[in-house]
Amino acid sequence: MRITALVLAAGAALAGCGVAGADGDSITRKDALVVGVNADQPGLGLRTGGTYSGFDVDVARQIARRLGVTTVTFKPITSATRESVLRSGAVDMVVASYSITPERKTKVIFGGPYYVAHQDILVRKDESGIRNVRDLKGRRLCEVPGSVSFPRVTRERGVAAVSVRADTYGACLAKLRSGELDAVSTDDLILAGLAAQAARDGGAPLRIVGAPISDEPYGVGLNSADIDGCEAVNKAITTMYQDGTAARLLRTWFGPVGLRATTTVPQFEGCD
Amino acid sequence: MTAVQQAPPTRQEPRRRPGPRRFAPRTAAARIRALAALVVVALAATLAAMWIAVSDARHGMRVIGHDAGPQVVATSDLYFQLTDMDAQLATALLIGGSQGLGVTRDQALARYDEDRAKAAAALLQAAKLADEPSEAATAQAVVMALGSYERIAGQALLLDRQAGHTAGPPSSRVLDLYRQATDLMKLDVLPKAYNLTLDDGTLVRHTYEDERAAVRNGIVAVVVTGLLLVALLVVLQVFLTRRFRRVLNPALALATLVALALTGTAAAVLSGQAADLRRAKVDGFDSVLALSRARAIGNSANADQTRFLLDPERADTYEQQFMTKAQSVLYLKAGNLAAYNQAVQRQAARTGFLGFLGAEAARRGVPGQEAAFGSVLTTYKAYQADDRRIRDLVTAGRRDEAVRARLGAAAGASSGDFATYDRALVKLIGIHRAAFDDAVRDGDGGTRHWDAGLPVAGLVIVALVLAGVRPRLAEYR
Repeated sequence: MRITALVLAAGAALAGCGVAGADGDSITRKDALVVGVNADQPGLGLRTGGTYSGFDVDVARQIARRLGVTTVTFKPITSATRESVLRSGAVDMVVASYSITPERKTKVIFGGPYYVAHQDILVRKDESGIRNVRDLKGRRLCEVPGSVSFPRVTRERGVAAVSVRADTYGACLAKLRSGELDAVSTDDLILAGLAAQAARDGGAPLRIVGAPISDEPYGVGLNSADIDGCEAVNKAITTMYQDGTAARLLRTWFGPVGLRATTTVPQFEGCD
Repeated sequence: MTAVQQAPPTRQEPRRRPGPRRFAPRTAAARIRALAALVVVALAATLAAMWIAVSDARHGMRVIGHDAGPQVVATSDLYFQLTDMDAQLATALLIGGSQGLGVTRDQALARYDEDRAKAAAALLQAAKLADEPSEAATAQAVVMALGSYERIAGQALLLDRQAGHTAGPPSSRVLDLYRQATDLMKLDVLPKAYNLTLDDGTLVRHTYEDERAAVRNGIVAVVVTGLLLVALLVVLQVFLTRRFRRVLNPALALATLVALALTGTAAAVLSGQAADLRRAKVDGFDSVLALSRARAIGNSANADQTRFLLDPERADTYEQQFMTKAQSVLYLKAGNLAAYNQAVQRQAARTGFLGFLGAEAARRGVPGQEAAFGSVLTTYKAYQADDRRIRDLVTAGRRDEAVRARLGAAAGASSGDFATYDRALVKLIGIHRAAFDDAVRDGDGGTRHWDAGLPVAGLVIVALVLAGVRPRLAEYR
């Protein structure tokens, strides 16, 4: 009987080995995904009623579809919560203009980037005096408290722009159109999203200058244990660019405002 | 030896009770035969478990040490060669017809051709490793984009030669062409090449994780079956000594010792294999790959320094790209390049930063790594200090001096100091490469004699069991 017990134990040990090391929480093994997105970013992630729309939202849907996921639920997140919700498992994936940085990489793992945005400048279409960041000297530039974009121009680039405060980039846009300020500078996709919405609402046409002063690799945030998920997301992004879907989405959301979007696959961060 | 004390007491008389036990052997001879047969079955199971685990270990070692591993390492140079092509093109256009700057246009172009040849070889290798349609498509796209790059680069060089200029920015038509070329390289060729080598690394990671788990599970299987074998031998021993009132059956005792020794050795060898696999993967392969990427991205940053001088209108963008790349090599938080340089110069400790070199700083236990890593840091600092000087010269309007400070090969000139840094990095990569080779050699050696050893050990145990049992059975004839 002792021997029978031993054999049983051996059998159990061997059977147990089959699942050892498997990560049951990987997004590659799920049929339904909860995706964290922005709820207030026109063109990227915007909630109207109960539905979400924008480039980030469409990218998340594409990735989910290519992972074989059947149900996608969106959840609004903010820059303050995106790491904690990933770690707690409240969301499976974050697609929310989430720039990959070395510090963030110590907390979560990033698939992608699915797009490399750049800080750029938005002006009224008839503005001819602003061709790069240095031309912002002495001009009225929107400053949103808490955003790194304004200090990047003034402190890091040493360009003495005049601050005009606004609470959100949406408010900046309104002031730009009414002539209360001369330029808005932040990620080009955010600017293009705002400008596209403004164009739909009618009003003074706007233009993106096209003088990038930063690289903002937008990554797909995942729980740091999900290396398989990260690799699968990279594969999904690769095919998304190869079959022209990415180019189509960029055209849909940012085409009308003259953003010269990059339609080739970005350099991935790597999953290890 | 608890198995001995806890072994069920052997009955002297055959049982007569009907029921589930009616198939149990009734005579002592039959019991001995049954126990001996069980021993042989357990032995077969033990040997099979060992055989399977050793094959898993060998498969892992073959893929990581001999097939995909070295091939992936070979492809990791692809990115470096491609960035270097663009760097040499920028250098050639910046030098123009000038002589005596430490490097001439012809030298830069010769290196361009060399890079192209190596890139082609690495690209072919990477394409061969592609195991999915999307990877094959990526490899093909790299070839196509590189063709376009070469066409534009050829036009830029021809136009630049026809116009003729001394060191410094070339004509605006040449610059236009160069911008097209470098944008194509940056946005199209390089990301795909990088992703391709990432994909190939994935293949190695999967093999590593599967085989290492298999070897570890194999150890469990070997220990369990081996102990079962030993337990059965002990049961047989106890039965025989009680039944025949002997002190010890020497042949069986020897068989038990051999079985114990075999199990112990197999478990030890297999954990050695798991450790060798880990060393080959983590200390060798991963580091070589990560540092090769650091080298390639650093080289690309170095080219951004040239582009900064080559194309004043885009200077801000190139400066920002230099900083982004420098930070991915050695990350210290800084708002702009001047602050980054200050932070780098202040950095005295060998840890406390992120990026590729930050990950390398956390590695321990590879002989020679610490010293080599130290000189990588020192030379990186010197190079960053040169960079600051060049940018300060440009700000002060002394562009000619800046170009000289960029191109010179002597210490204190950026090109020379970058080459020194690059050599230190290559040396560090070499140390990890050696650790990789060592681990693979140990791994190969560890299982060398098992093909012959396992059957021999099996036969020895069978022979000893027979030798122990047959004389006792003979007493019943």
